[in-house]
Amino acid sequence: MELLDLLQQAAPTLFRGVGYTLIFAVASMLGGLLLGFPLAIARIVPSRWAQWPATVYVSLMRGTPLLVQIFVIYYGLPSIGISFSPLTAGILALSLNAGAYLSESLRGAILGVHTGQWAASYSIGLNYWQTLRYVIIPQAIRIAVPSMSNTLISLIKDTSLVSVITVTELMLATKEVIAVTFRPLPLYLAAAAIYWCLSMCFERLQIRLERKLGQAHKSN
Amino acid sequence: MATTLSKLSKIAAAILITSVTLNAFAADLLDTVKSRGTLKVAMEGNYPPFNFKDPKSGELTGFEVDVAKLLAAKLGVKPEFTTTEWSGILAGLGAGKYDVILNQVGITPERQKAFDFSQPYTFSSAQLIVRKDEKRSFPTLESLKGYKLGLGQGTNFEQKAKAVSGIDVKTYPGSPEYLADLASGRIDAALNDRLLVGYLLKSSNLPLKAGATFGDIDKIGIPFQKGNPKFQAALNNALDDIQKDGSFKQVSFKWFGFDVSKAPAAQ
Repeated sequence: MELLDLLQQAAPTLFRGVGYTLIFAVASMLGGLLLGFPLAIARIVPSRWAQWPATVYVSLMRGTPLLVQIFVIYYGLPSIGISFSPLTAGILALSLNAGAYLSESLRGAILGVHTGQWAASYSIGLNYWQTLRYVIIPQAIRIAVPSMSNTLISLIKDTSLVSVITVTELMLATKEVIAVTFRPLPLYLAAAAIYWCLSMCFERLQIRLERKLGQAHKSN
Repeated sequence: MATTLSKLSKIAAAILITSVTLNAFAADLLDTVKSRGTLKVAMEGNYPPFNFKDPKSGELTGFEVDVAKLLAAKLGVKPEFTTTEWSGILAGLGAGKYDVILNQVGITPERQKAFDFSQPYTFSSAQLIVRKDEKRSFPTLESLKGYKLGLGQGTNFEQKAKAVSGIDVKTYPGSPEYLADLASGRIDAALNDRLLVGYLLKSSNLPLKAGATFGDIDKIGIPFQKGNPKFQAALNNALDDIQKDGSFKQVSFKWFGFDVSKAPAAQ
């Protein structure tokens, strides 16, 4: 069948694209998490000097298109002498962007932990940082998992934007096959199916993580 | 999306200007290329028959890949190819991510403000594509007033069509998208490089045919960063050399069946 031939022909190119998409998504998830935690903490601690840079950063990253951020980092910074490879620039841009969104999920979750928890911790002699570390954050992470997963799953699809900086990820790979076969519909659908599969893998991880984090609350 | 793109083009323009001024202090590109031993060539990689990935081997191939190999050999270096989307390709050249672009870049006054160009290596003109059963005739761009015309975003053709008021110009990311829309009747005609039209119609299997060609001739050159006179001279010499030894003509016949370095009337 003709459609099968087409997909068979496209498969190697698409799978090479998937490889890049996964590298970008996973590396940026780690980068985003590394950045998101300190940002969230910085925005809740009672110090203006920690709060406002973090607030400005989050506002800037959420208030400008990711595509513009990728352009600035890859094409803009060389003019002031900073040059990244496409891989580094892409991971950097996605991490910086995802970090801002993740910090908001986490901040919401930290604020969502009942204030009674703070009072209780202080009453047993824990200080601010100890309360945050041992009482609040463990509970906050559990609350934050669904909305952090949102950001991480969005990230998988946002990797399609790095095609503008010479990276042949899944989307650009798809366009390359379409350019020679002139069959946009089946190939875009194939790309959509692959993105969906990747996202479903991460959804499974989310479910497992939620179960694991929820165990402590079920056992007693 | 339109606002994002216009923002992007402003940013890209700002970047181009800054990087071009900075580059004035750097060594001539020819020295850089020779000492590096490679010529970094950028192209879209999804623009057959000019440059595209062979669907079977996944290798980059096409007319411009062959030309780039010939030119690099004349310069005594190896070509190193990068593929990227058209939307970022000129910004990447401005930022020094690669040395040259071989991607049917038309020499326009606007682009010449930001970059220097080699002498033209191909000549072409714009050509319409219409549905096979099209009864109306569109002999000129002006005759498309009031009709929907599809073309690639940020291309020469976009500027040409927008210069004629009254044409309903629809821009698309690439030719597969607007050809599909043309075949399904959502637009009345599409505009592209006449060198490309023959290939498109042959390989796309869509119910389309070639329409009128528009007289003015597009000169296609190789852009690179300003302020590299030695590189420009060497590149032009290399272009002359591959013309003289017949290797350009051979490559041209291989992909188009005629010599694209001659003006369209003589092809």
